[in-house]
Amino acid sequence: MTTAPVDMLQDPPVRPSGIGLLSRWRSHPKFELWLAWWTMIVFYNFFFVIFFGVARIQPPPDPAWDVPRVVEWFSSHHNGLLIGFSITFVVAGLTVAANALIAYSMWRMSVSRAFAYTYILIYSLSAVPGMLLTCIALVVGAMRPDRDPEVIHWLYDFAFMAFDGTMGVFLIGSLIWMVAILLDKNRVFPKWFGYLNLCNALTEVVVAPAWLFNGDSTFAWHGTITWWVDMVVFMTYTGAFITLLKRMIEREDFGNGPMPDGSSTAP
Amino acid sequence: MTNLAIPAGARNATSGTARPARTLPATPDIWFFVFFEAFLFTAYFTVYMVRRTQDVGLFLQSQAQLSLATGVVNTLILLVSSWSMARCVQAAREGSMQAALRNAFLTIGFALAFLIVKVSEWTVEIEKGFSFTTNGFFAFYYFLTAIHFIHLLIGFIFLGVVVHQLRQPVRSQPLIETGATYWHMVDFLWIMIFALLYLMR
Repeated sequence: MTTAPVDMLQDPPVRPSGIGLLSRWRSHPKFELWLAWWTMIVFYNFFFVIFFGVARIQPPPDPAWDVPRVVEWFSSHHNGLLIGFSITFVVAGLTVAANALIAYSMWRMSVSRAFAYTYILIYSLSAVPGMLLTCIALVVGAMRPDRDPEVIHWLYDFAFMAFDGTMGVFLIGSLIWMVAILLDKNRVFPKWFGYLNLCNALTEVVVAPAWLFNGDSTFAWHGTITWWVDMVVFMTYTGAFITLLKRMIEREDFGNGPMPDGSSTAP
Repeated sequence: MTNLAIPAGARNATSGTARPARTLPATPDIWFFVFFEAFLFTAYFTVYMVRRTQDVGLFLQSQAQLSLATGVVNTLILLVSSWSMARCVQAAREGSMQAALRNAFLTIGFALAFLIVKVSEWTVEIEKGFSFTTNGFFAFYYFLTAIHFIHLLIGFIFLGVVVHQLRQPVRSQPLIETGATYWHMVDFLWIMIFALLYLMR
C-alpha cells in the first residue's frame, strides 16, 4: 500500500490497451519463436478439423469402389469438399511456420546447417503434391457433378495417390531430423525423439504397398496397416514434436552451446 | 541377450571402471524405441492373425509353400548373431577390445548371411510364382519379412557405430550397448515373424 504513490509516479495510469499488449509481446525475446509455434498449432487444428470433419476425406474411402459409388461419394461430400478445401487454400501457407520452427531446432543443434536447409526444401516441396494436389483434384471432382463419371473416378484415384505419393519425401525428412538429433551435442531434443523419427520414417515405408493393392483392406490406401496403424504413429509423432518444440522454446537461451535442461527456465 | 541383464554392480566390478549404477544396459532412449517398435509389430501381428482367421485354409495352404528349413536356418543365424553381439558387449565391458571387435565383425558376418539367405528365399518364392499380390498370406509374408529386412539393413548402421566406437581410444560403452540392444530387437522381431509365418498351424 505504501508503495502505491511511487508506482504511480513511475508508471502513468494507462490501462493496457490491445496495442500496448502487442508491443509488450513484441518486445519479448521469444516472440518470434512463440508466433511460429502458435501458427503451427493453428495450422494443425485447421488440418485435422477440415480433413476429418469438414471435407471428411480421412479416414480415406475405399479405393476398390466402382464408378457409380465414387460419383455418389463426391455428391455426398460436395459441400464439405468445397468449403473445407477453400479454407485449406487460405491456411496452407501456415505450414511454412511449422517447417521454419523445425528447421530452427536443427539450426540450434551442433550440426551442419545443411540439415535445416535440406529439411525446409524437402518439406516445402512435399506440401504441394501431398496436400494441395489432393485438395485441387477433389475440388475439381466436386465442382461439376455432371462431369463424365470416368473422369470423376480418375480424379478420385489421382487425389488419394497424390496424398500417398509424398510419403517417401516425408520419410527422408524424418530421417534428416533423426540424424540431426542423434548427432547433436546441444541437447535440443531428447535422443528418444530421434528414434521416434525412425519409427515414423518406417511407417512411411509401410504405405508403399498402397501402390500395388486397390481392393485389399490391409495394404490398400485405406488399409488397417497402411492407414490406421500409421495414423496412430503419426498422431503420437506429431503430439511429441509439438510438445518438444514448446519445451525447446521455453529452454532456449539463444546461445551456441548445450541448452539448459529446462527445470529453471520455464517462462 | 542374457548378458545384457547383468546387474550394474556386478558389471562395474568386471569392467573395473567407476560408472553410475544403472539397471538397464544402453540408454533409456533406445529402449523407448524398442518398446515402440514392439507395439507397432504387435499391431501388425494382430492384423495378421485376424486376417488369418478369416481364411485359415488359404493361409495354411500358402504357408505350406514356404521352406521351413530356410526359415529355421535364418532363425539360427540370427540367434547366433545375438550371441556374438552379447559376447562383444561383454568383451567391451572387460576392456578386451580385440575380442569385442572380433565378435562385432562376426555379428556383421551373420547379418550378411541372413541377408543372402533371405534374398535367395524371396527369389525362389517369386520363381515359383508367389508374389506380393498373390493372396492374403503372401502379402503378409512379403510385408513382414521386408519390413524386418529394412530393420536388418538399419542394423548395419548400428553395428557400424559399434565397430567405430570399439576403435576409439575413448569409447562410449552406452553407445556400444545401444547398438547391441537394437541388434537383439532385430533378432527378437524375427523370432516372432518366424513363428507366425512358418510355424503357426
